[in-house]
Amino acid sequence: MTALLPQVVSETFFQKALLGGSLVAVVCGVVGCLVVVRRMAFLGDALSHAMIAGVGAGYLFMKLVFGREAHAPAMLLGSLIAAAHTVGMIAFVSRVSRLKEDTVIGIMYCGVFAAGVVLVSVFRDRIHIDIVHFIMGDVLGVTDADLWIAALVGASVLSVLVLFFRAFQFASFDPVAARAAGIPVAAVDFALTLCVSLVVVSAVSMVGVILVVGLLITPAATAYLLSDRLDRMMALAALFGVTSVAGGLALALALDSAGGGAIMLFCTAQFLAVLALAPRYGLLAGWRRRRRMIPQPLFEDILGSVLRGPQPVPPAAVASHVHADRSRFARALATMKADGLLRESAEGLALTEEGLAQARRLQRAHRLWETYLARAGVPPAELHAKAHQLEHVHEEEAVDYIDDLLGHPEKDPHGAQIPEDFVHLEGGQPVPASFLREGRGATVVSAPAGSGLAAGDRIVMAPRRDGGRTWVAAREGGGEVLLDHDAADAVRVRPDPPRA
Amino acid sequence: MITDARVPAIQAENLTVSYGPRPALLDVSVAIEPGTLVGVIGPNGSGKSTLVKAILGFVKRDFGTVKIFGQPVEEALGRLAYVPQRGAVDWDYPVTVEEVAMMGRYGRIPWWGSPSADDRRAVAEALDIVRMGEFRARQIGQLSGGQQQRVFMARALAQGADILLLDEPFAGVDAATERALLEVLRQARAAGRTLVVVHHDLATAAETFDRLLLLKQRLYGYGPPEAVLQEDLLSEVYEGRLRVFGTLKKGEKR
Repeated sequence: MTALLPQVVSETFFQKALLGGSLVAVVCGVVGCLVVVRRMAFLGDALSHAMIAGVGAGYLFMKLVFGREAHAPAMLLGSLIAAAHTVGMIAFVSRVSRLKEDTVIGIMYCGVFAAGVVLVSVFRDRIHIDIVHFIMGDVLGVTDADLWIAALVGASVLSVLVLFFRAFQFASFDPVAARAAGIPVAAVDFALTLCVSLVVVSAVSMVGVILVVGLLITPAATAYLLSDRLDRMMALAALFGVTSVAGGLALALALDSAGGGAIMLFCTAQFLAVLALAPRYGLLAGWRRRRRMIPQPLFEDILGSVLRGPQPVPPAAVASHVHADRSRFARALATMKADGLLRESAEGLALTEEGLAQARRLQRAHRLWETYLARAGVPPAELHAKAHQLEHVHEEEAVDYIDDLLGHPEKDPHGAQIPEDFVHLEGGQPVPASFLREGRGATVVSAPAGSGLAAGDRIVMAPRRDGGRTWVAAREGGGEVLLDHDAADAVRVRPDPPRA
Repeated sequence: MITDARVPAIQAENLTVSYGPRPALLDVSVAIEPGTLVGVIGPNGSGKSTLVKAILGFVKRDFGTVKIFGQPVEEALGRLAYVPQRGAVDWDYPVTVEEVAMMGRYGRIPWWGSPSADDRRAVAEALDIVRMGEFRARQIGQLSGGQQQRVFMARALAQGADILLLDEPFAGVDAATERALLEVLRQARAAGRTLVVVHHDLATAAETFDRLLLLKQRLYGYGPPEAVLQEDLLSEVYEGRLRVFGTLKKGEKR
């Protein structure tokens, strides 16, 4: 085998295959980038299938009118006409029917392809086209004419794309803004469709109808996983196109298989390898990112654990309370120290002011959830575990809702004090009187008529009555005002600072 | 920049646009003065985005004309800049912050040339105005919602257009970003630009804009907020789906 390879490589047919395939692959890769970002992959499929009708019609026309056999330019022109018709019919049918475009593309390209197959087989005595060659391609049988066409198409399409790169980029990214900036978006779109058609037509003879769409989009998609800029994506796609052809041809020789199939197989394997290994958008990178990511609940469990124990608390004691492996625990501590939530001294961990506030918010959420769950009929034995899950739902609005729903309870089912709503009480804005706990002083900002309170009144809260359902406000200068939940919500007060 | 205040920045006459039997816009005529900050308001599906696209000539007009500073819009392209709705953008598109801002300059760069020093300066300035300079090399999908909106603002500024059309720039951004964006809009107005902003939030419309354009297929009102935010007009347009008239009036007094 090793002796066979160099000998074959020096054969003309192999060199032509390599040259022609690479030419086609470079242009396919570059155009394919625009196809991928515009989500037009199906268009490539449609165009390649439409080709057989065009090639057949072009062949027949030259044969019947001028008596010329296999006239390449006529077949190329026929392909383009057939492609243009397919695109036009797709646009027309999706506009006038309620079918979505993907369905219409499927219908139209199969229809045109079928028309081509019928045409070629009906006139089989006049048209000498090998349908199998057409479908499968024959990269190892590349002719000089194929090479010339590929070179010509490649040079013109690449020139257009390079010269008008900015227009293609802007129109594909944001057509409305491109139009506003003065770019002729409709013309740019037409040019892109024409470029895709030309590329597809020139590639079919190499890899066949079925595989051409792969050559168009797979190298581009591979490059997409590796780059954040369209120009670099195009350069990479061209490179991947060439490596696919070279690698695929080597594979074809090694396995003695069909050239087109081997090229696409190599191309797909290359894509899968990049998908797995790409530094940012790859699966492995994503998996490692997720592994490195510290879940929010772990931070919250650490805060809660430090808050409960006497501070400072040794890290090992905290670690025994939370579920995390050692390295993740250590990274979580480091992150929290960097974020200013925890302090570490020789004696152990302590909460900073910010950490204390966060921990109290969590404790408030936990105890409110426990109260809620007890009311919802959860058995006492399950309360803590369930509330431990739910305390991670501590968005301020959600907690406020639960608090109000429960009638602003002061104690949880275990009899522990629920921290007061210090986020609002210390926020500097007026709050409902229902937020005030026993002993807190406040100045009334507004109160509904008939509530017994008026703006400007100074009050101090006395213990609640009726199992917490009645708020008692002792007015400065004498007199108690009783408020039920709704009335206490309706009275807005400006709380005094908490007593030290 | 034309400063003659007698020529409207945007003059739409009898604008009608349809998708099928139902008109998206019906006989809309409006003249927008240069240097104003206009809010386009109306319920969902009232043709707000279509109006913007019709002004740009991006949707086919069944009837009517649009003039930009007295010229037909087709001759004035490039004097208009567009900021798309966040939902309409492909955030996975391989493009960096700086490239998006540079797109604003594409209309002036000849196809055979490359961005000049002037173009690069304009882009850098625009990114600094919206405070996105340090993110220039980021791919746009890696930004927060507010940052993404600012990048598109920078593109419109880099273009140096006289008229900016923005589709729901405040949708899905936090309050701080909303204030920062509004500040940029006001700077642009102070520089003499005309801004047309599609806006969904009636509650903030009065304090944000100089003029409001109330739309539901037809034009229901165009003028200062207090003239447009009339209870009878709004209840006609929103068909009673709006029960916040009281708060709106409070908003006006603020």
